Amino acid sequence: MSVSPRDVQHVARLAELAVDDADLPALTAQMDRIVSFVAQLSELGDLDGVASYLAGPERTPLREDVVRPAELARTPAAIAPEFVDGFFVVPKIGAMEES
Amino acid sequence: MSVRAAALETGGRLAEADRKGLNAVLAWSPEALDREAARVDALPAKGLLHGIPVALKDNIVTTEQPSTCGSRILEGYVSPFNATVVDRLRAAGAMVACKSNLDEFAMGSSTEHSAYGRVRHPMDPERVPGGSSGGSAALVASGVVPMALGSETGGSVRQPASFCGVVGVKPTYGRVSRYGLVAFGSSLDCISTFGRTVAEAERLLAVISGPDPRDATTVERPPLEPVPAPASLAGVTIGLPREYFPDDLDPGVRAACRRAIDRMKELGAAIVEVALPHSRYAVPTYYIIAPAEAAANLARFDGARYGARKSVDGDVRALYRATRGQGFGAEVRRRILVGTYVLSAGYHDAYYNRAQAARMRIVEDFTGAFASGVDLLFTPTCPTPAFKAGEKTSDPVAMYLADIFVCPASLAGVPAMSLPIGRSEGLPVGGQLIAPYFQEARMLSVAGTLERHLDAAAEVR
Amino acid sequence: MDWETVIGLEVHVQLATRSKMFCACDTTFGDAPNSHVCPVCLGLPGALPVPNAEAIRLAVRGALALGCTIQERSIFARKNYFYPDLPKGYQISQFDRPLATGGRITIESPERGLLDVTIERLHVEEDAGKSLHDRIPGKTAVDLNRAGVPLAEIVGGPDLRSPAEARAYLITLRQLLVYAGVSECSMEKGSLRVDANISIRRLGQGTLGTKTEIKNLNSFANVERALEAERGRQQELLERGATVEQVTLLFNAATGQVRPMRSKEGSHDYRYFPDPDLPPLVLTPEWIEAVRRELPELPAAKRARLVAAYGLSAYDASVLTSERVIADYFERVVEAGADPKSAANWILGEAMTGYNELGRFAVPPARLAALIGLVRNAVVSHQAAKKVYVDMASTGGEARAVAERLGLLQVRDEGALARWVDEVVAAHPREVERYRAGETKLLGFLTGQVMKASQGKADPKGVQPVLLRRLEGK
Repeated sequence: MSVSPRDVQHVARLAELAVDDADLPALTAQMDRIVSFVAQLSELGDLDGVASYLAGPERTPLREDVVRPAELARTPAAIAPEFVDGFFVVPKIGAMEES
Repeated sequence: MSVRAAALETGGRLAEADRKGLNAVLAWSPEALDREAARVDALPAKGLLHGIPVALKDNIVTTEQPSTCGSRILEGYVSPFNATVVDRLRAAGAMVACKSNLDEFAMGSSTEHSAYGRVRHPMDPERVPGGSSGGSAALVASGVVPMALGSETGGSVRQPASFCGVVGVKPTYGRVSRYGLVAFGSSLDCISTFGRTVAEAERLLAVISGPDPRDATTVERPPLEPVPAPASLAGVTIGLPREYFPDDLDPGVRAACRRAIDRMKELGAAIVEVALPHSRYAVPTYYIIAPAEAAANLARFDGARYGARKSVDGDVRALYRATRGQGFGAEVRRRILVGTYVLSAGYHDAYYNRAQAARMRIVEDFTGAFASGVDLLFTPTCPTPAFKAGEKTSDPVAMYLADIFVCPASLAGVPAMSLPIGRSEGLPVGGQLIAPYFQEARMLSVAGTLERHLDAAAEVR
Repeated sequence: MDWETVIGLEVHVQLATRSKMFCACDTTFGDAPNSHVCPVCLGLPGALPVPNAEAIRLAVRGALALGCTIQERSIFARKNYFYPDLPKGYQISQFDRPLATGGRITIESPERGLLDVTIERLHVEEDAGKSLHDRIPGKTAVDLNRAGVPLAEIVGGPDLRSPAEARAYLITLRQLLVYAGVSECSMEKGSLRVDANISIRRLGQGTLGTKTEIKNLNSFANVERALEAERGRQQELLERGATVEQVTLLFNAATGQVRPMRSKEGSHDYRYFPDPDLPPLVLTPEWIEAVRRELPELPAAKRARLVAAYGLSAYDASVLTSERVIADYFERVVEAGADPKSAANWILGEAMTGYNELGRFAVPPARLAALIGLVRNAVVSHQAAKKVYVDMASTGGEARAVAERLGLLQVRDEGALARWVDEVVAAHPREVERYRAGETKLLGFLTGQVMKASQGKADPKGVQPVLLRRLEGK
């Protein structure tokens, strides 16, 4: 197995996804299957000199610096789960962030 | 027929599709259709799609219907803005008929991964219509709408087009604006078209193509100009990449391809064999790049500003984890985790960077083949006809391999399409044409000629 | 005593654009919350970024002012992390292919004199929004007006050896960026923010010690204070044999202490990758040269020129060039005909007081030049001119008219001068007697008395001959 339950828990934390303990073994097995499958790219050998492929135009277009905000058919207040006094509202930032 | 009458008839067909339990539609209403008809009637001139009802895959946002992406996390979400393609459809006189069902966030190859239930194959309810644009494909195949928009990241229009027996066209990456397409794998995503015929899919593509100042990845090229299908294919060189005709290819698919190739030869095309040796790495490459981009693209669904929030007692992290953990389905969660894994410290080089280089190799195969004098490539669209529901849901990799022939063109960003080329045991088989960058018109004209000379409804052995 | 401090600063400045980095929303600071938002900066599904040309131009300008090499091809990258004020769950920044690299600025170190500090890189990115933790009890309130505002991040090399040098570096950096018109660089408005990295090592030791990062520094003075506090903390740890942990710290300006900010869990794996929504940023050499040509004269060059062209002292030139506005004002006063040294004295004296209060010069350059001319031609005395200046600054009047209205024009009329001289001679018979007895140094005292009697109006040059005649003629 190249993917361990700890790896799954680690990336789940990075991705802010709750994973039930009950689901962990199956999920680990599936992730391991996928990761082992994509690992066949190692057959391609040394790719160090190969440039990354970037899709789309060669260079980004640039926008003129003009204030012209796109219209919203619905206001932030109308789409937000919780909106008070003009602010989006979420539960407090936990103690691990900023005291 | 008046536009209002067309709208009314469309409503009738949508209601009928609902009754049949196709489950291809997520949102439609007679009132919305009536508003669309009124909008068309108010246009100063008749456009290219005057009065034509078009279905939109539900990851294309509109201000008048919910845009759920087939996910619980966007249940009831109505976008405050319209996608660029919606503006262009309406300007051409089309009516937005409905939002169609899809694999959640376009992640899947069978439209079984929708939070709102699986879509049935129009010819066999036990089978899948392909995916992820299965709803749009099924609606066109069952005659509810003549045209529909889907989206491709790794073949999500060509593959269901093949399964459902309709035409599906993926343009060159950057030819159609992605503004308003909910992002999955941004370097791969292409809004693509379905039609009953090549001409319909082409007309729809002509309307939606062209640069958009709101999408920095659109290319400064004028909209597609359809060219008439030639009477013969003399002077056209068709390449057959040998890797796309493996020994274990489904016999029905092989026979249908053989017939189509023979027909092209009879029509004057030169047929040559070519090699695309890196195409076999397309699916693994794709399943690194697409999930990596998806993990970032789906980070915005955190329950903070819009969408369905899971209420929690804890802090904001608890809110994120609950909202995302419960809001996303199993396949989306898996891909987010894989995408996070391949980008994380210690694995980034071995997976993500390697996949980027592999992608370049795949691109070079295509540019090399086209530089060698091949005008178009012809391959089967899928290794098999439509499979049964539940057949591949237990093994994600088996599902991924359903896209083995469509993935490479997505990674290379070249235009490609699927058109019906016959039936195997009653189920449609699609043939794929792949063209050099921006050669959609050439590809579609050859497809048009082939379409005219091929009875796609015939069983081929 | 044998510790060496190593400091490197990361500075974020807001690029002075009208609209945001990737959308056309207003960048105005201080408006109602969430009033400058759109699908792009709200991170709505389906929205896409398009870069602001002016932000790129300003960033390139800033990079050139810092002596950087502009990369003709740079790549936008996504920096992934979750935070309530980061709408997309990633920040669009630049990572392994930044806009500019390899610059250098010269600062005046309080300890080491003139010192070159390397600029490792400058890249462009978007700002996050603002999270307010005290507005709603138990909740975090989020304002996204600032989300997407264009920033340049400037990473300085670990070349600074003291908190005071760090401050000097910041002063010079800000001066350059304000000169180049890149940013307002106001810490109050949040358009300049500083993160400081600091480590210490034994003097002569080659390798760097473990560094800590201090955030939340809201003034240059606090940067210096925080670094001093952290230097002390690290030194104390190492001296008693403990180790420094690599942590992020917050500075509390009230207590003068630093304290750890984040747990390490998951917070430092940003999973950067090229943003597939944005093709490479490609700049042509011609375009880069055009931006270089439009760069204004920078402080060092201006200082040298002021010394050479106007014969100013190095000190005066350096204060005059501390801000572009001051230097421009000086040159306009000189252009309007003022003697350069007098102009410098006036600007560094009277005019600066007002400038520091108002943030602008109250007297137009031509009028200050006229006032300086009046002093030079002895139409008003230097003393009187200061009163005239104060009046001009508040009323907006013209120098001669104000001097006249205030009755401060110098009197040269011999009859009037003679009357004041007579008065003084009469009032100071003993001093007159001593002068006449040979104590000629009393001439200065008597002249002063005449000036006093005239309430400063007498022309000092006219007073002496009249006084001498009176003292020696009788």
